[in-house]
Amino acid sequence: MARHKKTFTVGWLYPDLMNIYGDRGNILTLLKRAEWRGYDARLIELGRGTTRRMDEVDVFFFGGGQDREQALVYEDLLETKQPPLERAVASGAGVLAVCGGYQLLGHYYQTGDGDRFPGIGLIDVRTEAGKRRFIGDVVVDAALVDIKPATLVGFENHSGRTYLGPKAKPLGRVRMGFGNNGEDHTEGCLQGGILGTYLHGSLLPKNPHLADHLIRTALRRRGITDLAPLDDTAELAAHETILARLR
Amino acid sequence: MRRTAAVWAGKATGALSRISRLGGGTTLPGDVARAIDPDVLRKLSRDLKHGAIVVTGTNGKTTTARLISWLLEGAGHSVISNRAGANLIFGATAAALEHAGVNGRLQADWGVFEIDEASLERAVDEIQPRAAIVLNLFRDQLDRYGELETIAKRIEAALSRLPDESRTVLNADDPRVAEIGLNLERKPLWFGLDDPTVAASELPHAADARTCPRCGASLIFDAVYVGHDGVYRCPNGDFARPAPALTSTHIELNGFDSLAMGVSGVRIELPLGGLYNCYNALAAFAAGTSLALDPAYIADRLRSFRAAFGRQERLEADGRRLILVLSKNPAGFNETLRTAVDLAGGRYFLIGLNDRRADGTDVSWIWDVDFERLRGRAQVVVPGGNRARDLAVRLKYAGVEAAPPESDPARALGALIEATPRGETAHLLCTYTAMLDLRAELVRRGWAKPYWKT
Repeated sequence: MARHKKTFTVGWLYPDLMNIYGDRGNILTLLKRAEWRGYDARLIELGRGTTRRMDEVDVFFFGGGQDREQALVYEDLLETKQPPLERAVASGAGVLAVCGGYQLLGHYYQTGDGDRFPGIGLIDVRTEAGKRRFIGDVVVDAALVDIKPATLVGFENHSGRTYLGPKAKPLGRVRMGFGNNGEDHTEGCLQGGILGTYLHGSLLPKNPHLADHLIRTALRRRGITDLAPLDDTAELAAHETILARLR
Repeated sequence: MRRTAAVWAGKATGALSRISRLGGGTTLPGDVARAIDPDVLRKLSRDLKHGAIVVTGTNGKTTTARLISWLLEGAGHSVISNRAGANLIFGATAAALEHAGVNGRLQADWGVFEIDEASLERAVDEIQPRAAIVLNLFRDQLDRYGELETIAKRIEAALSRLPDESRTVLNADDPRVAEIGLNLERKPLWFGLDDPTVAASELPHAADARTCPRCGASLIFDAVYVGHDGVYRCPNGDFARPAPALTSTHIELNGFDSLAMGVSGVRIELPLGGLYNCYNALAAFAAGTSLALDPAYIADRLRSFRAAFGRQERLEADGRRLILVLSKNPAGFNETLRTAVDLAGGRYFLIGLNDRRADGTDVSWIWDVDFERLRGRAQVVVPGGNRARDLAVRLKYAGVEAAPPESDPARALGALIEATPRGETAHLLCTYTAMLDLRAELVRRGWAKPYWKT
């Protein structure tokens, strides 16, 4: 029986070190929403030193960490994870990267003193340290066509200012909050199957339409184009709590 | 003279804010007095006959400070303290003001202050405490405090500036606290738990401080007690839990009702529940012995202790027993859930989540709390607070069947009471201001006293 069941696999990059902002919410949301549609949902934890079964992953999640942990992760990312991650993305796997994970996938992070820490350059973004921390609720008008409602809500807490290069498209425009850099009104980025963002809160639980977008996009390579609808009343009510703060 | 003016102005503000029902007058008098004389706390602290003790850490400050006051008061000392969880420098100042005489002088033997992690440096400078206690360091309100690392460095800076004759009392089981202590010039008094029967073998989700501060390797935990507090070592031998001078052994946990443990050959019994309170009691014991209190006296005195506002407070409500437990971050929440569900067998719950400033405006931490523990065990769970809808989603993904989210405190309480049969016990687990809101409703219904009277 089991071998006939459709599988959906989430790969969590550095679950022990990069999980600062309730990132488990994003993992649970991806897994449960696949499970509720009859998939055998699996989680592969990708800690330091392992690349095991990275080719089976449909959606990778890369969260934020504290500076100390981020430095430990960086070395491993460069040495062990980068090649298999690039291969997976090229074959159609999705990536959701939040905050620190988003920054590490870009070209570099430049500190206030001008020191540059190179990222792995999977997305065409660069980040520079800013003086003031951007903290608070965020509402974004998303640039994705297949999601309804067209808004994304979350919470940001970052001092990095991220700027997009020509290959990266913004995930959306901020209606409330600061977004990528507090200057150009963009938030997050889309490039290939990679979605980078500063939104946590957790992001996916109150943006179920974005969770489904990630699942649907990753499953497309297996010829699956449609996801059964779910009752999202509770999730969208939480979404609405933040939208209501706009008014 | 300036000090006298500051004291008078502060005292007047306190009286006014209580009369005008603005609240307990727990911090505003401090703001006013400090505006007139910024050195008022420094001056008042010098009046303390024996000196002051400060308690900091993410969880357990209020209870531990209250335990220490209880020990000192029982030994015949007069003690001033900031009791209502008003733990910023203004709250400590307000507490000192309240007890200052008309001449602007403070007449008390001891000051026992709980101090917010971020305020410790200033508090140490102004209060010059005789002992400083650090309980633990967990992730908490990242929007307000920033990263754990920043807080840890500030605590270390504060402790390194303590007067020479002062003592640091530190939790050896917390890797981040241990790192602070090992960096200090003078050796701290270490305390820790030592009872494998109450230990877990795995770290909870989102544990902090899991890597070696020297080589970066993931720490090996031989025992996990609370959050990331336990018995740990670096696989490369670069770092390990310091050997505690005081340990708790033979731990017995009896729901939220009581605990018992052995410390230095003395049996301690405390009418508070939960493994986390073993740490608080042990810290108080350590503080007591460092001030030369007799262990047998400490044990005797702790038996009759009463909890602080919202910390395991017990109330009667129309034939139901209510237990109120402040639960404000993942480490604390996991412990109160473990105590309520596993140890107390609780089946009726109201969970209150607010996102005001004092709670932390970022609620993403609820995803690090193991609400899965309620699945199949809880009969009723009412999600409350102004972020009740976020809680409802969290519970849905934990597989817990919950009542509809109810942001209004009166209606949330009504839903809980209605769903809880008479004679049963309901647990109210809430963030700080959600607790205040619910308590105000409990006071309105005549089931609780205003908190500044407790």
